[in-house]
Amino acid sequence: MKRLLFRLFAISSLVLLAAGSHASSRPRYGGAVRILLHDKVMSLDPLSDEDHSAARDRMAALAFENLIGMDAQGHSRPMLASSWHSDPAKRAWQFHLRLANFHDGAVLTAADAAASLQKSNPAWKYSAPDRQTVMIETPSPVQHMPEILALSRYAIVKRQTDASGATILAGTGSYRVAQWQPGERAQFIANEDYWGGRPFADAIEFQMGSSLREQLMDRQLGPYAATELSIDQIRAVEQNNQSVTLSRPADLLAIVFLQPESGGKPGKKTVDPRIREALALAVNRAAISNVLFQRKATPAAGLLPQWLTGYEFMFGGATNLDRARELRADAAAFVVVSPISLAYDFADPQAKLVAERIAVDAREAGIVVQPYAESHINNKTARSSINADAVLLRVPLQSVDPQTALAARIDDLGLFPESSPAILAAARPEDLLEIERKLLAGNRVVPVAHIPQALWLNNNAHNWQQMVTGAWQLDQLWVEGAR
Amino acid sequence: MSLKSKLLLLITISITASVGAVAWLIEERAHEAFRQVERDRTSALVNQFRREFEHEGEEITRGVESVAGSDAMLRTATELANGAEYANYVNEAAQNAAAQRLDFLDLIAPDGAIISSAHWPARFGYKQRWFLDRPAPLPQQAFLKHIETPQGSVLAMICLRPVRVHGLSFYLIGGRKLDAVVQSLSPPTGLRVSIFSSPEQGPGELLGPAKESFGSPKTTALVQKVLAQRNEASTTVESAQALGQEEIVHAIPLPGYTDRAPAVLLVANSLEQELLLEKRIRNISLVIAGVGVFIGVVVSGIVTARFSRPIRTLAEAAAEIGHGNWNVRVETSGKDEIGKLAVAFNQMTEELMGQRERLVQSERVAAWRELARRLAHELKNPLFPLQITVENLLRARQNSPEMFDEVFRESTITLLAEIANLKTIIGRFSDFSKMPAPQLQAVDLNEMVRGVAQLFQAQLNREPARIKPALHLGDVSLVNADPVLLRRVIENLVLNAIDAMPKGGTLTFLTTTADRFAVFELSDSGAGLTLEECERLFTPYYTTKQHGTGLGLAIVQSVVSDHGGKITVSSKKDQGTTFHVELPFAGAGTVESGH
Repeated sequence: MKRLLFRLFAISSLVLLAAGSHASSRPRYGGAVRILLHDKVMSLDPLSDEDHSAARDRMAALAFENLIGMDAQGHSRPMLASSWHSDPAKRAWQFHLRLANFHDGAVLTAADAAASLQKSNPAWKYSAPDRQTVMIETPSPVQHMPEILALSRYAIVKRQTDASGATILAGTGSYRVAQWQPGERAQFIANEDYWGGRPFADAIEFQMGSSLREQLMDRQLGPYAATELSIDQIRAVEQNNQSVTLSRPADLLAIVFLQPESGGKPGKKTVDPRIREALALAVNRAAISNVLFQRKATPAAGLLPQWLTGYEFMFGGATNLDRARELRADAAAFVVVSPISLAYDFADPQAKLVAERIAVDAREAGIVVQPYAESHINNKTARSSINADAVLLRVPLQSVDPQTALAARIDDLGLFPESSPAILAAARPEDLLEIERKLLAGNRVVPVAHIPQALWLNNNAHNWQQMVTGAWQLDQLWVEGAR
Repeated sequence: MSLKSKLLLLITISITASVGAVAWLIEERAHEAFRQVERDRTSALVNQFRREFEHEGEEITRGVESVAGSDAMLRTATELANGAEYANYVNEAAQNAAAQRLDFLDLIAPDGAIISSAHWPARFGYKQRWFLDRPAPLPQQAFLKHIETPQGSVLAMICLRPVRVHGLSFYLIGGRKLDAVVQSLSPPTGLRVSIFSSPEQGPGELLGPAKESFGSPKTTALVQKVLAQRNEASTTVESAQALGQEEIVHAIPLPGYTDRAPAVLLVANSLEQELLLEKRIRNISLVIAGVGVFIGVVVSGIVTARFSRPIRTLAEAAAEIGHGNWNVRVETSGKDEIGKLAVAFNQMTEELMGQRERLVQSERVAAWRELARRLAHELKNPLFPLQITVENLLRARQNSPEMFDEVFRESTITLLAEIANLKTIIGRFSDFSKMPAPQLQAVDLNEMVRGVAQLFQAQLNREPARIKPALHLGDVSLVNADPVLLRRVIENLVLNAIDAMPKGGTLTFLTTTADRFAVFELSDSGAGLTLEECERLFTPYYTTKQHGTGLGLAIVQSVVSDHGGKITVSSKKDQGTTFHVELPFAGAGTVESGH
């Protein structure tokens, strides 16, 4: 009897436990999700020359959609375009739009999409044969058009001007902008008419511009669902048994030499190629990745990470101080070797450490690197007025498609725009390897590390999807404690 | 320069020298006193720096020991010793440095690799083996060393402490910038302090708020000297803060952990106040000296005048006597040496006057005796023939009356001749006593000499004692003379010269000028005279000739003297004799005529 009673008690306990766990994992509607962002975003327009495009894209993805999206594994998936196909030459593409409404209530038409895409890439030809079909014709073959159209800059945005002349942006995303205070706060509320169904959360609020240290305090004390983390904070967070989401090392941290032809200040003196090569050989990438980034980053020898291309190891990237010293001495025999001023992002404390480490390594090779903090170095327009010889840039990985990612990356770096058609036309990995090798040959860009993006998640936030690139998908996000 | 001036100058120099010596002594004493004050001030500041230095060192040592002994550090070291990733501790030093207010803190692995650096986080992994490779142990207290930072080498006071776990030694090197010590100093007004940091490589730099004012080349040279010799030194430089002002810079080497001094403490002491005070003292000294010299000169002038007046009176009296006024007497006032001198002077003049009277009398007696002797001599010669002739007449009348007439006639001739001779002698004496007063007029001396030479031309050419005349007549102005008497003078001299050259010779006539006189010299080439003869030559009735009266040259001297001139003679045995006559020029002044 006792045994029977015990069995009944155990079975009932298991049933209750299973019911409870089912209740906690079931999505719930309602509630506001508060997120802390380190960066200050000044504009949501995917085409704006924004200082922090990655942060911008994270917010913009809530309100603006592309014709094609990428899932968490990096596969293309239908978004506003329900289907598509191309000619065999990959030069003419046709996309069929699904029924969707802009946030202002207007129905999305092919003309709207074509107009938006026209602003995203004027080099292509767009047309709308009917209300739901968009045609794209390119001068050269584009092998990976779906992946390209999944880039944030190809988001479908309806731009209108109000009476005061201000541009009003309207998208079709699962959330629409309710409040927008540039650089400070943004509130998105659920789009009740979203073609994919209403999102779970009622609102998503972003608080921008808090320092990482403040974020740590807010994370411990405030009602936030998620905050960004710097790599050096991961250990402390993990020691407290808190949840950390880490992307793959996707962002590229690289030294970019500013030259007039690559977006630098006009009249800027070119750093001698031998000195650039010497610096590339002097940088101890392993130390930077292993220590400063706590082994969460990987040493970068190429523009794209090894996990994405599979060929990065062929670029080497090992430190060779002896050769660096030889090159430096060789250069000094012909030119005056001036100190290299290296600007790093004023708002990124880890960039400062990396820049200083680069200076330490360079010093061992006899090269004087003078790091200094600079604002707006991620803004391509502002970068042209910086007086530095080089900048330490951190650029996001925008696609898991290597061709698309490389094209977007050189665009972010502001280098080699002439290479973009060749990249998009590359059909084989070998072609891409050769292109990248050429891009790296002059050491105008010196890859340093591939860095992951880290995120602290509150335990009451569920279905937070972080892509391998570090991008967020929040349309399925829900929080506990909601109705 | 008069005695009064000499005395005044001597006393003035003495007073000036004395006052100057006193002023110099005062200034030197003041200078030395100020230097001592300056040294004391510098010493006080250096002592303050040393106290601050030691205090800072103790705080650093305490801070580093506190980190090294903390549980957290022991736990970290234990984890590291157990193989934990160094990367996990890359920020370890920064937190501890902030807690202990350390500017520098390195956590170093047993092999010297930097695990974590507070001041240069990017330097992890690099080896720092300077303390491991050192054979001698490091000091336990904090010491000076240059620390590498992103901004370059920084002078710091550091301390090293090991953290030993499981047989492994990790190291903590922590410290602070030394310029904080300099900043904490509060030097008094006029003092500035800085530290010259001298890294092992590269140029040094100055630290501290006053570093800009220590950049002079002399200061740099002083620092280099102190670094080389490792001894204190000082120099005086022009102040960089105030042009024209000077300051003393003391350089004191600060010890490091090796023999090499990593830094030099520089203390600059402005001499502005001291120099101002010294200048004031100097000015006061100069004023006092000037007043002293002025008073001294005035007083010495008065005293000198009192002392020199009787001497001047004596000198004037002596000059009067020199001019022949023997009746001069000086006033005898006081019983001091000057008074005694005046008395002695008066006695001396009285004695001299007495002696002169006696000399005149004796000379007069001698002259009369000479005159008597000459007269006796001159008169005795004709008297003896007269006596013989008269005795012959008497003897002829008694013994040979028949021959008396003839004898009478012959004796009469002889008597008349001798009587004529006596008349001549008496006439000469009469002429000497009756020298006429010269009728002065302008006379051409050369013309007169030329005329006399012409007059005696025939006599000079007489054989066999032929005398060759030689005329050397210069450019001589007219002289003030009586032409008749002057001609007699020259003729007399020429006659004497002819007599002096019985075997012939050369007679030289020379005229020239000397000062305010015309000069006539007549030189013969005769046998010459002795010194005694020269001295007595112009004495009346003295002669060296057999038939002379001894009055010729006396008359010559008398005439020349009456003309306001002077005649001298010089002679050398067997070489001849020269008469030197000086005559005043016409218009040079009236000549008091007389005998």
